[in-house]
Amino acid sequence: MGAHISIPMYQRAVPQRYRLIGQRCLKCGRVNFPPKAVCKYCLTGSEFENVQLSGRGTIYSYTIIAGGGAPPEFAEDARCKGSYPVVLVELEEGPRIIAQLVNPPGEGISIGMPVEAVFRRIYEEEGVIRYGFKFRLV
Amino acid sequence: MTISVISYGIYIPFLRIKREEYISALGSCSAAFKEKAVMDIDEDTITMAVEAARDAVAGVDKSRIGVLALASTNFPYREKVAAGTVIEALGLSNNILTCQHGNSTLAGTEAILSAIGLLSLTDQKYALVVVADAPASGASVDMEHGFGAAACAFILAKDEPGLEFEGVYAYAAESMGIRYGLPGETDLRDIGVKTYSNLAYNDTVRASVRGLLDKLGRKPGDYRHVILHQYDAKDASGLAKKLGFGEEQINAGLVFAKLGDTGACSTLVGLCNVLDNASPGDNMIICSYGSGAGSHALSFKLTGQPPKPRNSLKSLLERKKYIGYVQYLKLKRNI
Ligand SMILES: [Zn+2]
Repeated sequence: MGAHISIPMYQRAVPQRYRLIGQRCLKCGRVNFPPKAVCKYCLTGSEFENVQLSGRGTIYSYTIIAGGGAPPEFAEDARCKGSYPVVLVELEEGPRIIAQLVNPPGEGISIGMPVEAVFRRIYEEEGVIRYGFKFRLV
Repeated sequence: MTISVISYGIYIPFLRIKREEYISALGSCSAAFKEKAVMDIDEDTITMAVEAARDAVAGVDKSRIGVLALASTNFPYREKVAAGTVIEALGLSNNILTCQHGNSTLAGTEAILSAIGLLSLTDQKYALVVVADAPASGASVDMEHGFGAAACAFILAKDEPGLEFEGVYAYAAESMGIRYGLPGETDLRDIGVKTYSNLAYNDTVRASVRGLLDKLGRKPGDYRHVILHQYDAKDASGLAKKLGFGEEQINAGLVFAKLGDTGACSTLVGLCNVLDNASPGDNMIICSYGSGAGSHALSFKLTGQPPKPRNSLKSLLERKKYIGYVQYLKLKRNI
């Protein structure tokens, strides 16, 4: 099942999708990414300051999406590659985020591998290219 | 006021295809590269531009960038301000002066010259020039065999030591040159007479290089390096020799064999390769070419230490994965 995100909704999230802007909770100091209305850590903080995340982190977990398991917006990737890896990355600043891993190593992926964010086309919908981040091994 | 390149970044896609793949699939290959870079399914000239630009702006105060000049012959949208995507991806000010050059492989140096001009209209200190190209045509056109992909980005600064811009000489006249494209057509065309294309290239590039040397009162021997637009393996070095340059001046700027035809990036990736190994005092003349036809010869000299890139071209050329011709066609959305 695909997750339709309207163009205005996507555009509002451009700072986080294009350059990993997170928010630091002014109450507990932890970094939320993606940004939230209420801090997911202390569950009470609702005031934040923007922080530029480094895009660096390590692989916390991963999975391989086989052709048939890809959501429709990623069908083109799947058709081209057969399968592609999705990683859960623990960023230096703390948050864990899910994204695709580009240029996967021939010898396989392992937990703890250092990665950095790259700027890629995530998918295309309504003729609009949805850019965003993926990760590559450092 | 002086204008100098104080920082640069390069991006080469991870995927490569060797010339042998063409020969085993098609029986021949029209271009004499050894291997060339290929964009992945989720890459386009704007994603490459952002990657090269991120390296170029690292270590530079982004709030002092007042100009963004972009160039490509293959932007992902036919109409759209592509600078907006780059500004948001890099976190640049939304109020900077932008320009976007395309339509021919002359676009790369057009962007540099525009950035130099636009710098006089801003109080800010820096201009960012990003040239990302991946010439495109349907795979049934022979000329497509040579088409590669690359991006490079440069920070130009007012009154700082670096690779100082010394002058430019330009030439433009009516000539179809190497290739042209019509609106709505996927395939590029040429007039089908190779000797004519070569002659057009030679005449157009020669006019600017000779003009610049005359203007600056210099001889070929006064330069450490010469870098001419490379649309195939031999014409650039052949012409440079005819113009009076020697192999030791030509070789460091030759990148076609490793990357193929990188379009508007061609001379600028060559320049990056020269800069990767440059020493203070080195000087160079670069000359771009675009069919239609035009050329720009630019002269630079290195005042102070050469800028150090985050990733040298050499290191990027070593990071790669080879693909076969069928995978190549899939990535180009031909099958
Ligand atoms: Zn909190």
